[in-house]
Amino acid sequence: MTKILQRGVLWLVTLLAVAALVPNHGLAQEGRRVTVTGEISDTWCSISGLMFAKGTAHHQCAIWCALGGIPVSIRDASGALYLVLKIGDDEDSAANPRVAKMATHEVVVEGELLERDGVKYLLVDRIADDKGVILMTHDEHGIQPFGN
Amino acid sequence: MRRLLLSLAIPAALLSAPAFAAEAWGLKDEKLVSFSGQVVDILCTLKGDCPAACGGGKRQLGLVSEGRLYTAAKSNTLFAGATKDLLPWCGRTIEIDGLLVENPAMPILMVQGIREKAGVGDFAPTDQFEKDWTAANGKADEWWRADPTAKAALADNGILGRKDLKWPK
Repeated sequence: MTKILQRGVLWLVTLLAVAALVPNHGLAQEGRRVTVTGEISDTWCSISGLMFAKGTAHHQCAIWCALGGIPVSIRDASGALYLVLKIGDDEDSAANPRVAKMATHEVVVEGELLERDGVKYLLVDRIADDKGVILMTHDEHGIQPFGN
Repeated sequence: MRRLLLSLAIPAALLSAPAFAAEAWGLKDEKLVSFSGQVVDILCTLKGDCPAACGGGKRQLGLVSEGRLYTAAKSNTLFAGATKDLLPWCGRTIEIDGLLVENPAMPILMVQGIREKAGVGDFAPTDQFEKDWTAANGKADEWWRADPTAKAALADNGILGRKDLKWPK
């Protein structure tokens, strides 16, 4: 009986030690299924307000930022931002050239939405539609942020 | 005029930023912050999908402090995120300073400095992206304009993202 107890304690201690080493705070969340329509945009430019961060005026900058590893979000018509953490099986969410090529495209995506601490995280299962760059803003706003 | 001010303001803010203290950028909703937190892979934290070494630099990283998950979106390098700066500290608790931009749409963190132990030594500036980029591509005044992947993408569809549009007109 004592040996069984000792083994049990040993297992418990091992389990706790392993859990402490894994940087995973909280249990896996179950999100909800959503369809999001919006522009693939750069999160920092959108949030910081440093420049006009929409459409053709911001296409080049959005590519630079995506390749620099800044999170990419989808901004819907209401202005809500959904930070993209994966697209299909592609879990590269930092400096992914495939995602950078879609900068400022208007897309319709389906996926799982997870919300934590004020951030909407989106795990895209499928890009249902990619309309390309359709928001024309360069006439009014030039090329952001430097003009060329 | 706005473009001119912006083009001067961003580099000036960076050049004037000391390596040991967070620098205000004058952004709406920004707050100077310094706190200790554990470096985490965000997808791992949310879904329990946890590759080795926080994804090796290919995933968005964050910090968990007092139960709150902070998305580390930006570093000191222009047009670059903070993944490369945080990656060596995956799973470890460090102290950062920087800007928390609490925009109602999404709060995000610009990490400006990192130090291993809270209150000990100077903060190291978050410039690992530029160092790695330079090591891979050579010295450039503006990494973003010299980046071969960016150049290829822009060559394909143009600066406006559409082959049917030209700039300048």
